[in-house]
Amino acid sequence: MQGAAAVRVERVSKRFGPKTAVDGVTFGIDVGSVHGLIGPNGAGKTTIFSMLAGYLQPSEGVVEVLGLAPKSVDGLRARLGVLPQDALLPPGDTVGEFLVDMARLQDIPAAKAETCAREALDEISGKDWWGQRCGSLSHGMAKRVALAQAFLGAPEVVLLDEPTAGLDPRVAFEVRQLVAAKKGRCTILVSSHNLQELESLCDGAVVLDRGRVVASGTMSELTAANEQVRVLVAQGTTRGAKPGQVPLQELREISVVKTAEFDEERLEIAVLFERRQADAETVIAQVLAVLLRNQVRISGVTKGRGLERRVMDLT
Amino acid sequence: MSPAVEVRLIALRELRRNVRSLKGVALGVITLLGALVSALVCVSIEGGERARAAAENEVYAELRRQAAEKATGDATLAAYIASAPSSLLLFLKITVWLAPLLVALVGFDGIAGELQNRTIRFWAVRSRRSSYFAGKLLGLWALIALVMLAIHVLADGVALTRGYVTIGQLATWGLRFWLVGVIIAGAWAAIATLVSASFRAPVIALMTTFAVFFALWLCGTIGFASRTMKALENGVTGPPPWYEYLYPNAYDAMLLSPSAGKAVTAVVILLGFVVAAMVAGAALLQRRDV
Repeated sequence: MQGAAAVRVERVSKRFGPKTAVDGVTFGIDVGSVHGLIGPNGAGKTTIFSMLAGYLQPSEGVVEVLGLAPKSVDGLRARLGVLPQDALLPPGDTVGEFLVDMARLQDIPAAKAETCAREALDEISGKDWWGQRCGSLSHGMAKRVALAQAFLGAPEVVLLDEPTAGLDPRVAFEVRQLVAAKKGRCTILVSSHNLQELESLCDGAVVLDRGRVVASGTMSELTAANEQVRVLVAQGTTRGAKPGQVPLQELREISVVKTAEFDEERLEIAVLFERRQADAETVIAQVLAVLLRNQVRISGVTKGRGLERRVMDLT
Repeated sequence: MSPAVEVRLIALRELRRNVRSLKGVALGVITLLGALVSALVCVSIEGGERARAAAENEVYAELRRQAAEKATGDATLAAYIASAPSSLLLFLKITVWLAPLLVALVGFDGIAGELQNRTIRFWAVRSRRSSYFAGKLLGLWALIALVMLAIHVLADGVALTRGYVTIGQLATWGLRFWLVGVIIAGAWAAIATLVSASFRAPVIALMTTFAVFFALWLCGTIGFASRTMKALENGVTGPPPWYEYLYPNAYDAMLLSPSAGKAVTAVVILLGFVVAAMVAGAALLQRRDV
C-alpha cells in the first residue's frame, strides 16, 4: 500500500465571496505517512482541512480521501477520523455518551461501542471523565476527548487541525506522544503552528502562504537535512586561521563539501555538501574534526536549516 | 449503515439532549403547570355547563353541538364531536394551540446551535446530512409528542377523578385527541427544524421561527375569519380559502372528522409538511458549508 495516495488535493480553490482563501492548491499524501500542513494564520490550512473533511465544498478542483469524495460518508465511515480545530463538544452530553454515539455512527455494534469508546478515552488518559458532561471539561480535556473521537475505531486517515493549540506544555507533549504512537498505523495529516513539533513528527509537509503552496516534500527535502550541516559556535568567534577562529578554507577543502560560509551575526557555520557522496553524519564528523583541531568552541550542530527557518524564509 | 439507523441514533440523541437541557426541563415544567391549571379551568367550565343542564341532558348535548358547529363551521363534524367529553375536547384545543409555541422554543436551536458551535462537524463525517436533518426533526417531534402525552395524562387524570370522563372515553377520544395533536405538532416541528437549518445564529433562527409561525397563524386566522363572515352573509359555510391550509392547526377539524377520507387526507397533508421539510432541509444542509 505504501506509495498509494491516501489524500489527493488537485488544483483546489476555495472562495468566500470576493476573498480567495485557497488558490489552486495541489498535493498528495502517501498511505501510512504523517504529513504536516504548515503556514501562518490565514494561509488556508483550516480551509483545506475543512474541505478534506467534507465540511466545505471546494469552489474548484478535486479533493479525495482514500479515493472518495469527502462527502461520501458511507464510503469513508470509520475510515476517516477528524479533529476539527474549533468545534465544541456537545455540552449536555457526557463524554461517554458522546463517544458511544460517535462509535455507533461508525457502525461499531452496540455491544462493542462502549468498550471501544472506553479504550479511546483510556488512550488519552481520560478514563475518569466517562460520566463528566462535555460542557464541564477544561480546554485541554475537551481537546483530548476530541482527539479520542478522531482516533476512535482505528481509522485509516486522520486529520488533526491544530491538535496542541492552547494546551499546556505537559498536555501538548502527551498529545504529541499519542500522535507519534499512531505513526505507521494510519495516515495522519496534521496542522500546527509548532514547527518543531511538526519537524519531529512528520515525514513530509506542505507549506502554505496566502492560500498557495510555496513548498512541499519530505521533511529532509524541506529542511535540506541531507545536504546541509549547520554548526553554532561560541560568542566572540570570528573567521580566520588562528586557533579559536573558524577555518573556512580548511572546511571548504573537505572533499564532499560544496560551500562553507560563516554568518558572524548568527555565529553559525553553514556547510553545504554533495549528498550523493556522503550522508550528513559523515560530514558532521569531518567538519567537527576540523573545528576541534582548530580549537573552535562549539555550541550546537544541526542537520539542515531547521523547519522553522525554512518556513520563515518561505512565508 | 442504513440511513434509517443513522436517523434513529441521531433522533434518540436529540431527544436525550432536549429532555436533559435546562431549557427542555424548564419548558416541560411550565407546560405541565399550564396544563394543570388549564385542566382545572376546563373541568370547572364543564362542571358549570353540567350544572346548568343537569335537568336536561339533551339540552346539554345540544349546547355542545352548537358550540362545536360555531367553531368548525361543519354541522356533521359538530354532531360527531359533540359526543366527546368537553374537557378532553377543550384540552385538545389547548395542546394544539400550545404546540407551535413549544416547538419554537425547544427546536429553534436544534441545528442552528450546532452550526454556530460547529458541533455538527463531529456528526458530519459520520452521518449523511439528510439523516442528520431527519434525526433532528424526529427527535424534536418525539419530544413534543411526549410533552403532549404528559399534558393529556395529567388533564385526563383530572377529568377522570372528577367523573366527567370514563376510562373507555379516555381510551378512545383521549387517545385520538393526543394523536391529532401529535400529527399537527409534526408539521410545526418540520417547519422549525427547516428554519433552524437555515441559520448559523440561534437567535436569528428563533426570531425567524416566530415570524414564520406568526405568518402561518395569520393565514389560518384570516382564512377562518373570512369564511365565517361569508357564512354570516350568505348563511352557507363555504370551503376554506387556500391559504388557510398553510396553517397546520387548521387541520384539526379534518383530523377529527367522522369521515375517514377527510381524516386520512389531513394526515397525508400534514405528513407532507414533514416530508417536504426533510427534502428541503437535507438539500440545504448538503449544499451548505458546515
